[in-house]
Amino acid sequence: MAEGGARRLARTAFVELAFQATYGLRQGNPLPPTGGRGLPAKAGRRVLQSKVLIAALLAFLTLGTAFLIGLAPNPVYRPAGLSVPMYRVGLVSGLLGVDVGLLWWTGLQALPSLLGAPILEVLRPLPIPPATFRRTAAIVYLRLFDVPAGVVAVGTPLAVGLALGPIAGVAVVPASLCAVVFALALALETARFFVRRIQGARGGGGSAILRWAYLLLWLLPAFGLLAFATAGPPFLRALSALGATHGIGPPDLIAAVFPVPLALWPILSGGVGAVPPPVAGVALGAGSAYVGLAAVAGAWLVRSVGATAVLPARRSPERGAAPLAVRSQRAAWAIVTKDVRIASRTPGFAFLLLLPLLDAVALGLVTYAGAPGTGATRAVAFGAVSVAALLATFFGPAFFALEVIAQSYARTLPIAARSLVLGKVSLIALVYVAAGALVLGITALRLSAPAVFAAFVAAELPAVVAAGLLEMGLLLRWARTRGLPVTSLYASTWNVVLVALPGLLLAVAPLAAYGAAGLAAMAAVALAELAAVAPLVLRREGR
Amino acid sequence: MIEAGPPAPPLEIAGLTVDYGERRAVDRLTLTVRPGEIYGLLGSNGAGKSSTIKAIVGLLRPTGGAVRVFGADAVGDGLLAKRRIGYVPEAALLYEALTPREFLEFVSGVRGLPPAEASERLRAYAAAFRLDAELEEPIATLSNGTRQKVLVIAALLHLPGLLVLDEPLNSLDPRSVKIVKELLRRYVADGGRGALLSTHTMEIAEELCDRVGILDHGTLLAEGTVDQLRVRAARGDASLEDVFLRLTRQDEGLPEAVASLRGL
Repeated sequence: MAEGGARRLARTAFVELAFQATYGLRQGNPLPPTGGRGLPAKAGRRVLQSKVLIAALLAFLTLGTAFLIGLAPNPVYRPAGLSVPMYRVGLVSGLLGVDVGLLWWTGLQALPSLLGAPILEVLRPLPIPPATFRRTAAIVYLRLFDVPAGVVAVGTPLAVGLALGPIAGVAVVPASLCAVVFALALALETARFFVRRIQGARGGGGSAILRWAYLLLWLLPAFGLLAFATAGPPFLRALSALGATHGIGPPDLIAAVFPVPLALWPILSGGVGAVPPPVAGVALGAGSAYVGLAAVAGAWLVRSVGATAVLPARRSPERGAAPLAVRSQRAAWAIVTKDVRIASRTPGFAFLLLLPLLDAVALGLVTYAGAPGTGATRAVAFGAVSVAALLATFFGPAFFALEVIAQSYARTLPIAARSLVLGKVSLIALVYVAAGALVLGITALRLSAPAVFAAFVAAELPAVVAAGLLEMGLLLRWARTRGLPVTSLYASTWNVVLVALPGLLLAVAPLAAYGAAGLAAMAAVALAELAAVAPLVLRREGR
Repeated sequence: MIEAGPPAPPLEIAGLTVDYGERRAVDRLTLTVRPGEIYGLLGSNGAGKSSTIKAIVGLLRPTGGAVRVFGADAVGDGLLAKRRIGYVPEAALLYEALTPREFLEFVSGVRGLPPAEASERLRAYAAAFRLDAELEEPIATLSNGTRQKVLVIAALLHLPGLLVLDEPLNSLDPRSVKIVKELLRRYVADGGRGALLSTHTMEIAEELCDRVGILDHGTLLAEGTVDQLRVRAARGDASLEDVFLRLTRQDEGLPEAVASLRGL
C-alpha cells in the first residue's frame, strides 16, 4: 500500500481518536441525546480547537520573545550586566525550552487516548503491510501535534527573522526543528515507559511507592522546564559569564547544554564578534551534535511509534496473594482513594498531583539556597502559599476528568453529587496542604518559623476549598444541563478556562487582601468566600 | 386502620420511551419483574434491550415513562434505586488502572458496606471464581473473562434486591458459567429479590428465566413463560430460538437466506 494508503488510514484512525477522546463511547458512554449524525465532525472541531489554543499560546510566547529581542538594545529592558547578544541568546533559549515543554505536555495529554482506546489495534488484523501500518501510526501521532508543532517549526524562525533579520531567522530553523523532534520523541518515550513500567504494576503498598517513584522520574522533564522558568535570573547570570575566561572554562559549559548552543546560532549569524570565539566553537560543535541527535531521534520516532501504539500492558510477575480485606471508607474518601490510585498508574493525572508538589520542592530549595534572613519569613511564606494555592486551584478541575474513566459503570453506582464534589475538593485541598507542608519542611531548615508558615497555609485553605467547590459545582452543572458525558467538558480547553478562571479569582482574592491589609484580612476574605460558596454548591448537590 | 399494600416488585417499567434524536429505540415499554423471578429480555440487535437496561441503571434519561425499583423512581430518585440494583454490564469497562481488590474496595466504599461483611463476601466469591491470584493485578492486564468475574462480584457485594444483567455469561469459562447460573437461581429465590437478564443466547434464557419478554423495534412483542410463548407462536414443542424467530418474523426468508450462502 502506498503512502496515500497510509494517509487515508490515518485520516480514519484520527477521526476515531478525536471521537473517542470527546465522547468516550468505548468507555461505555451513551450517545448524546442529540443523536449520532454530525458528532464525528463536532469531535474533530473540538480536538482542533484544543490544538489551536495551545498553538495560540505558543504563538503569543514566540511573538513576545521577538518583541523582547527587538527591545534588547535598550538597557531599560535588559538585565544589568548582560550584553545584548547574550540576553538574546537567553530569550531564544527560554522560548525553545518552553516550546519543548508545551509540546511534550500536549503529547502527555493526548497519548492516553491513543494508547487507552485500541484505535490502531483495530487495523492490525487487516492485511496492511507492516511499513504502511507504521506510517499510519506515525501520521496519527504527528497529527496530535500538527498545529502547535507547526507554530514552533515555522513561527520561531519567522519571529526571530522579524526581530534580527532573515539570516538569523534561517539560522534558528535547526533549533526550532530540534525542539519539535525532541519534544515528540520525549512524549513517545515517556508513553513507552508508562506502558512498560506503570500500567502493569501490581497493587499493594510497596508497589504504590515504586509507581510514584517512577512517575516522579517520568515527570522530571516537566519539573526541569519549571525549574528552567523559575531559575531564569541565575541562567542569565551564567550567560553573562560566558567567555569571561581565556579558552574554555567550566562556566562556558552552559553553551553546550540544549537549547543554548542552537540559540547561539542566530546570534552568530550576525557576525562572530558578538560571541567569544571559544564559545562560538562550543556552540557550533554542540549545536551540530544536537542536530545529528535530532535526526536520529526523528528516525527512531517513525520506527517506534507503530509498535508503541499497540504495545500491550506488561503484567508483573505473580507473587503470593495479599490478605484479602476491604478497608472501611466513606463514599467521598473512596473517591479520593480511587483517584489517587488511578493517578499512580496514569501519568496525565499523576502530573496534576505531582506538579504542585514538585513546584513546592523547587520553591523550598530556591528559598533555602537564597539564604533569606528572618525578616523575609512572611514574604517567603506568602510566596509559597500563593504558588501552592494557584497551582492546586488551576489544576483542580482536571481531577473531574478522572470521572470519565469507566464512567458507564461508575454512573450506575449510588454516588451522590455531594460525595463526588467533596471527594474532588478534598483532593485539591490535600494537594494544597501537602505542597505547603513541603515548602515549610524545606525552608524550616533555614527559617525556623513554622507557626508563620502554618498560619499562612491555614489562612488560604478556606479559599482553596471554596475555589474547588465552585469549580466542581460548575463542572457538575454543565455535565447535567448539557446532557453530555462529563468527558466532553475536557474536550474543549475553553471549558477548562471558564471553570478554572472563577476558581483562580477566589484563590487570588485573599492573597490580594494580604497585600492590602495583612494576614487577618487574608483569612477573613478566605472564610467569607467559603461561607458564600459552600452552601450554594453543597445545597444544590445535596440530592 | 390502613392496611399496608403488597410490597413493591423489584422492577416496574411503565410506558418507557427512549429516543436518540429522531430515532425511537424503546417505544412505551411496560413490564414487571416479580419477586423471586428471573425475567429474560430477548431481542435482535437494535431491538432496544441495551437502551432499556441503560434507563434502568441510570445511564440514560428516558424520553418518557417510569422505571421503579422496589417502588423507588429510578429516573427521579436515581440514588435510591441505584442502591438496590446490582448491575453487570455487557462490556467489562472498568477502571483499568485499578486492581480488582482496589476496584471492589471502591465499590464497597461508595455503597457504604461494613468492611468486615464486604471482606467476607469478597473472600468467598474470589475463592469460588479462583480469582485470588489476579486480585492484585491491574485490571488492564486481565482477560475479558476475569474482568467479567470482577463485575459479577461487584454486582453481588451489597446483596442487591434487583440484579440487572446484560449478557452476564459472555466471556466466562464453563466453570464460571456454571457458578453464575447456580448463584443466580439461589440468589433470586431468597427473599423477594428479582433479576432482569438480557441475552441473545436462547438456551440460557430457556434454562434460567421464569418469564421472558421479546423486544422488537423497541416494543414488547410478547411476554410469558417459555411454554406460553410456544402456544402463542403455535409451535408446541419448538425451541425458544424457533419461537423467537417466529414471533419476530425473522424466520421469513430464513431458509432462502441460508441456501443463498451455499457454494460461497
